[in-house]
Order: sequence, then structure tokens, then C-alpha cells
Amino acid sequence: MMRLECRELGARAGGTVLLDGVNLTFEAPALVGILGPNGAGKSTLLRCLAGYRRPDRGELLWGGRPLSSWTAAERGSVCGYCPQQFAPAWDYSVAEIVALGRDRNSVGARAVDETLREHGVEELSDRRWSQLSGGERARTMLAATLVTRPSLVLADEPGAALDMRHRLALLERLKRYAASALAVVVMHDIDLALRFCDRLVLLDGGRVVADEPASGLLHAPAFEAAFGLRLQAEQRRVDRDWVIGLG
Amino acid sequence: MKARFAAMAAILVAAVVFAAMAGQDWASPQRLLRAMSGATDMESRLLLLWRLPRVAAAALVGALLGLGGAIFQGVFRNPLAEPYLLGASGGAAIGATIALLVPLGLPGGPSLAALSFAGAWGATWLVLAVSGLHGRPDTAGLLLAGVAVAAMLGALRSFLMLALSDDTVNLQVVLSWTLGGIQTPDLTGLLLLTALVAAGLALALWLAHGLDLLGLGDEQAFAFGLDPARFARRAVLIGAAIVAAAVAFGGLVAFVGLIAPHIARWWIGPRHRALMPASALIGAALVAICDGIARAILPPAEIPLGLVTALIGGPFFLLLLARRLKS
Repeated sequence: MMRLECRELGARAGGTVLLDGVNLTFEAPALVGILGPNGAGKSTLLRCLAGYRRPDRGELLWGGRPLSSWTAAERGSVCGYCPQQFAPAWDYSVAEIVALGRDRNSVGARAVDETLREHGVEELSDRRWSQLSGGERARTMLAATLVTRPSLVLADEPGAALDMRHRLALLERLKRYAASALAVVVMHDIDLALRFCDRLVLLDGGRVVADEPASGLLHAPAFEAAFGLRLQAEQRRVDRDWVIGLG
Repeated sequence: MKARFAAMAAILVAAVVFAAMAGQDWASPQRLLRAMSGATDMESRLLLLWRLPRVAAAALVGALLGLGGAIFQGVFRNPLAEPYLLGASGGAAIGATIALLVPLGLPGGPSLAALSFAGAWGATWLVLAVSGLHGRPDTAGLLLAGVAVAAMLGALRSFLMLALSDDTVNLQVVLSWTLGGIQTPDLTGLLLLTALVAAGLALALWLAHGLDLLGLGDEQAFAFGLDPARFARRAVLIGAAIVAAAVAFGGLVAFVGLIAPHIARWWIGPRHRALMPASALIGAALVAICDGIARAILPPAEIPLGLVTALIGGPFFLLLLARRLKS
């Protein structure tokens, strides 16, 4: 089972502090949501966790081993990292993109067409990237990320381009997947985060200001401070889902 | 896919036949067949010893240009990247000029190869350093950096030629290089060129998967297990070696490295494993045809190959550039 640790993580760009002494430990299985206002350092944190960005300070461990000692190929074989932006230079087809994702660890991977079916993009198989809608693109990238059955999933706003129905479906898929893996996901929808995540980490100004089981976060005073909003949350009796009101 | 490669091979055969026929005196297919079946008349011997090796060399240089172009476009992630436009060919030509004109006291062949390679590699890195390898340089920045480097290297080459023009023996060779031109190789040269194409194709295929990943963007390529910076360094090295080989045998030939991968991509898609051999085949056919035209269009004179490819390739490039800038 995957374990992810960061100690005193710091990152800066020019004179701006992006991350400032972040200490976190994640253990599988879990679906962890990273929340925070714009510029809180969410994407930077995820990039550091994935090893794409080298932190300026602190230590990062994957499965107890310093991340710097993992080769690129080793990282790719256990991790599914889904960056926020994806703009291919060539007009690959959906099947080609998923096949490229699969090649990073073909040993334990599912077949490409099986994965396409599972993610509801099998009828798009031969479609080129330029002909896909935002939602179809997001589903394709998730399929390419999960095709190798990675034990660690890091996704940066995977649902940002999706409509409500598809966003819900995507989180349900991630939730199911995280039953046997560790998934750390940057999110913006507080209601969806409360409904699906096991644990929520709130970032503000590059620091962790709250780190709670999902339901606990709403009562943390840092929450309203971070977003600069008054929030009212109510749990529905029918399905225990959260309704968020801006007060 | 197989049918498409068969079609490409058929086009190459047709191009080679056309090129073998073309020249100051046009040769009919029957005459070509007679020459190849060992006839000993003067005309057959001329065809066999002069025209056919030249045609073969043209096709092989074209294959190198196609491969070099495909690697450059893959590394720069830009369909308008081309070794000639980005100064890599100019860098190789500087190396070759120095090797030919400056008495370095080194053996001719190896020092020419080494200096051409060093020039191509250095020029490519200069363009990369200016335009930025990471986060995908934009088209305008890339081309401007390439144009500046190419202009600089061209001026330097002219200066070297003027400064060392006492050595008139080699100046003619250097001049014809500048405009691009296939020399008729002897058997050793032809075998060496064939070996270079085989090695170039093998290396290009070795890069294919990494270039596919790089095309997804640095961050996504990283997510799929590639170290983008390290891979790009390796690919530039191999690309520069292939460009240097093409320049050593064919001089400065513009636009083939742009057109061949383009047509290949239209035809067989963006995956580099198929794109590499397809670019080589199309590049070979293109240069064979252009070299034939260069030999036949102004008899008895021969015009430089680079003029033909620039006249055909220039409009093609402008069309692509206009389409890209519009979108």
C-alpha cells in the first residue's frame, strides 16, 4: 500500500513563496481532497508530490524512499499523475493517448479497449484530440492515467472542464478507485469534496491551515478565513449529502 | 498502414526511375535497363558510373533529411521546426567549411564529420537556449531564433571563405555546398551513406516512443514516465548527427526536413514509430526528384539542388505558417 510523506516542504518562484513548511502524510486507501483559494499553492503542492517540480526545501518520500531516488520510469509505473493542463503538440487519437499512458507500465495494465469502455470513451477511440469536447478530453486523460492501475493517483482539478453530471461520475469513479489506492485530488467544488473525500487538506498562502476528515473541515475556523466567505452547510437527511449555502 | 507504406515505396521507386531518366540527355527506361544489365557501350557506362550513384546518393541524403526533420519537429514539438530553418544545417556547414579550408593538420574525413556534427549540435543548442526548450517554445520565437542563428552562421561562413580564399582548390566545393548539391559518390562513399541512413533510421526508431510522449507536453510526458529534459538532450544529439551526415553529403538543402515529415504525418498519423520510416521514404523520393530536376532543367548546366527545394518548399512553408498563425 502506498504511503506518501512530505516534511517541511517549501517552494518559491522568484520572490513569491508558493509553499511554506508543508507537513503531510497520506496513506492508502484514501481519497484526499486538496482545497484552497486561487494561488494557495495547490497545484505547486501536487507537482512537488508528483516529483515534477523539485521543492526548494524539505523532504519528500514515496513508500518511505526519497522521491529523488526514484527514476522517471519507476515513478511512472506506480503513479498516475494528471496535470491540470494538457495540450498535445500532435493530434493523437483517444486510443493512442491511452496506449501511451499504458506503455509506462504494461505489466499490470488493463487492455486499452477495456479501459476505453470502462471510462465511457470507447466510441471515441479513433477520434482525434482536436475533435473532442472538454469533457471527452478529461475522461480520456483519466482513462490514460488509470489504465496502468497505479497505486498512487495525483490529479489536479480533473473535473474542471466537466458538466455537473460528468463531474459527479468522475468523482464516483475516483472514489471507487481509491478504495484500494491512494488518490490525492485538487478540487474546487466544496460540496463534492465533502461528499466524496475521506480527508480534506485546506491550503492558504502556501501553508496547511486545516487537515481534517471531510465533515470536520466545515467547522474549522480556517475554512471561512481562507475563502473570505461565510459558508453555511447543512446535511440532508435523505442521503446525508451536504448542501452549501453562501451566507 | 501496410498499404500506405507500400504506396510510399511505390512513389519512391517512381521517383528514382524519373531521376535516373532525367539529365542533360534524357534516358529511356529501356536504356536504363540495358545499362544495368551490364552493357559496355559508352552511354551505359556513363549511366552506371555517374548517374545511378548520383540518384542513389540523392535518395539517401533525402532519407537523412526526412529523419532529421522528423526528429527536430518531435523535439521542438512544432511542425514548422526544420534543421535548415533552425540553423542546424548552417552549423554543420560551418564545421565542414572549417574542416576544408583551415589547415588543422587532421585527417580530412574524420575531422569533417566531427566538425560538421559539432556545428549542427552547437547551433541547435543555441536556438534551444534562446527560445526555451521547456514549456514548448512558441512558433514565432523558435523561428526567429533559428533565423538569427542561421544568418549569423551564414555570415561567418562567408567570412571564412573570403578570408581563406587563397586555397582556391577547396573553395569551389564549399560554394557548391552552400547552395546544396549532391556529389556523385564512389562506391565507398555510397556504402558509407547507406550505412549512415540505416544507423539514422535505427536511432530515430529508438527515439520514437519518447518523441510520442514529448508530444504530449513536458508535464504529461513526465507523468507517463519520461524525463523530458534528459530525453530532449539525447534526441538533439542524434538529430544533429543525422543533419551533419545529410549536410556532409548533400550540402545545405532547405525545406525537405519540413515537407517530408509533414506529408508523412498527413498520411500515417502522428505516432513516431511509423512517422520515421515514412519521413525517410518521402524525403528520399523528394530529393531524388528535385535532384533530377536540378540536372535536367537548364542543360547543359546543372542548377544547385538547394534552389529547387527552396523554390518548391518555400511556398509550402509559407502556406503552413499562414495557417498556423491564423489558428
